[in-house]
Amino acid sequence: MSGAVGVGTVVSGGAERTGGPLKLGRDVGLLYWRHTLQALRQPIWIMVGLSTPLLYLALFAPLLKHLPGVVAATRGNVLNGFLPGILALLAFASGTGPGFNTIFELRAGVIERLRVTPVSRFAILIGPILASMVMMFVFDGVLVAVGAAFGFEVHVLGLAVLAILLGLLMMIMAAFSIATALLTKEISSFAAVVNGLQLPVLLLAGVLLPLSIGPLWLRVLGHFNPLYYLVSASRVLAAGDFHSPHVWQAFAVLVPLCAIVLTWATNVMKRAVS
Amino acid sequence: MAVSAEEKNDHVIAASSLRKSFRSGRGARVEAVQGVDIEVQRGEIFGFLGPNGAGKTTTLRMLTTLLPIDDGTARVAGFDVQRDPALVRTRIGYVSQLGGSDELATGRENLILQGSLYGGDAASVRARVADLMELLDLSEFAERRVKTYSGGQRRRLDVALGIVHEPQVLFLDEPSTGLDPQNRANLWERIRDLRARGTTVFLTTHYLDEADALCDRVAIMDHGRIVALGTPQELKRQVAGEAVLMDVKDENGAVARARQRLREEPYVYDLTADGSELRLYVEDGGEALPQLLRLLDSEGIGLRSMSLSEPTLDDVFLRHTGRSLRDAGPAAPAEVEVAA
Repeated sequence: MSGAVGVGTVVSGGAERTGGPLKLGRDVGLLYWRHTLQALRQPIWIMVGLSTPLLYLALFAPLLKHLPGVVAATRGNVLNGFLPGILALLAFASGTGPGFNTIFELRAGVIERLRVTPVSRFAILIGPILASMVMMFVFDGVLVAVGAAFGFEVHVLGLAVLAILLGLLMMIMAAFSIATALLTKEISSFAAVVNGLQLPVLLLAGVLLPLSIGPLWLRVLGHFNPLYYLVSASRVLAAGDFHSPHVWQAFAVLVPLCAIVLTWATNVMKRAVS
Repeated sequence: MAVSAEEKNDHVIAASSLRKSFRSGRGARVEAVQGVDIEVQRGEIFGFLGPNGAGKTTTLRMLTTLLPIDDGTARVAGFDVQRDPALVRTRIGYVSQLGGSDELATGRENLILQGSLYGGDAASVRARVADLMELLDLSEFAERRVKTYSGGQRRRLDVALGIVHEPQVLFLDEPSTGLDPQNRANLWERIRDLRARGTTVFLTTHYLDEADALCDRVAIMDHGRIVALGTPQELKRQVAGEAVLMDVKDENGAVARARQRLREEPYVYDLTADGSELRLYVEDGGEALPQLLRLLDSEGIGLRSMSLSEPTLDDVFLRHTGRSLRDAGPAAPAEVEVAA
């Protein structure tokens, strides 16, 4: 079939069957760029995405100042205690975006169109996740810069390690939300699952108020919540402390969880969708 | 590469005993496809005709690797769909009912991405895309975002996306749905062009005229089964040759006499009456007409009009299912006609 202008499908058997790392990298790159371009062409969503965490900083942080003991516990500025939590919150929220997008792409037949090409199923999953992740890191940078202007202490190395953890949690949430979108297929069931999960996960993570002020059962429950480990690690890392057990605990929870969720979501992408 | 089955026989699609069932909302299983056998030859336009919900799209999705097969086997473009989906995917194109282009991207961006996903290098993809846009009259809108395309333009882009990698087989799911007559005719021309270039086209449709005008062979599908298979001509001949429609002058019980006498004629298969209008099926209209005229003349029966018509594929569907295609299915077209 390969005519004069044939788009080379002429690969020898084995390589064509399995793909290989080169093809995978190329597939991921193509789909990453596709989603990034789409995001840039909808600037309204970028504004909305950025305004939420900024509003938390502007409207919620001032309340904390007046809670007894908070200022002292946060090295003189509530942002030191609060901003890392907002970064964790943003990672969590950024993970649901790709799921909503998947619902729309299912409806428009885009997922179908991609699944019928030889493109790697993992690439269809990870392309949009990476695009959203890069966007999230840009937002994180803006938040840290704004926070620094209002007295947040910046520990560059600590924040760099925190970025890895933020990326892991975002990836877990995004893969979960895309797989859920593929399985529920329509917006109402998908939104019910995601929203139903959102509130308990947020309350049990200590983003807004630390769990340490709660009763024992609440603290125990928090240990079943991946976001809790990220929030705990985010506070110590932002203070430049790498030796706190919170740091390795967060990695020990988020790395395997990320691997499990990605494997599951790739399998859903391979099989489901009808 | 090993000699594939496609070189031994010329069936570019060969499926046997395909089955698929789904769980319905209330937990019961719905048998969407119940043992479908298909053989499609290289270079033919093959059509699945049937009402919505007949299992056409489900079958298509199994053949295109999109849906796991419950039971049965399928080879497409020389490879087993279940064992080597990746190899099948590089050799087929698929245009779904929804299209699936990126609205926020331009036509050219859409095509370049699609070409790249099939593994082409940048220069050859660009060249191929330029040719394709020329071929499908899209060059004018190449740099416009798909959001601004009309229905016909969008459909042509969908087809272009399906053939950017020059597939051996192109699958089209209800390609002309939502198109006006002019765009439909245009699309049919493009599909015939593809066949002329050696591409096999497999399409589904619930339009009788589309199956009739476009397809080399048609499989009529109902309730998950193929109920009839052949060229449109063969299928229509199977029904009852040709139809003769006559309007009898009703004087002195002429209609009743005509009905009785015509039924006795050996070459008349079947006769239905609606008032003074008689519809009878004969094997060969050209031979039957003079005989009919002589007979009626000798009986002194006068006619207001007489015409010969080919039976339609709807007659075929009616015969095999007891329903008219226009009435069948959950979402039949709005202009419902009751078959006589």
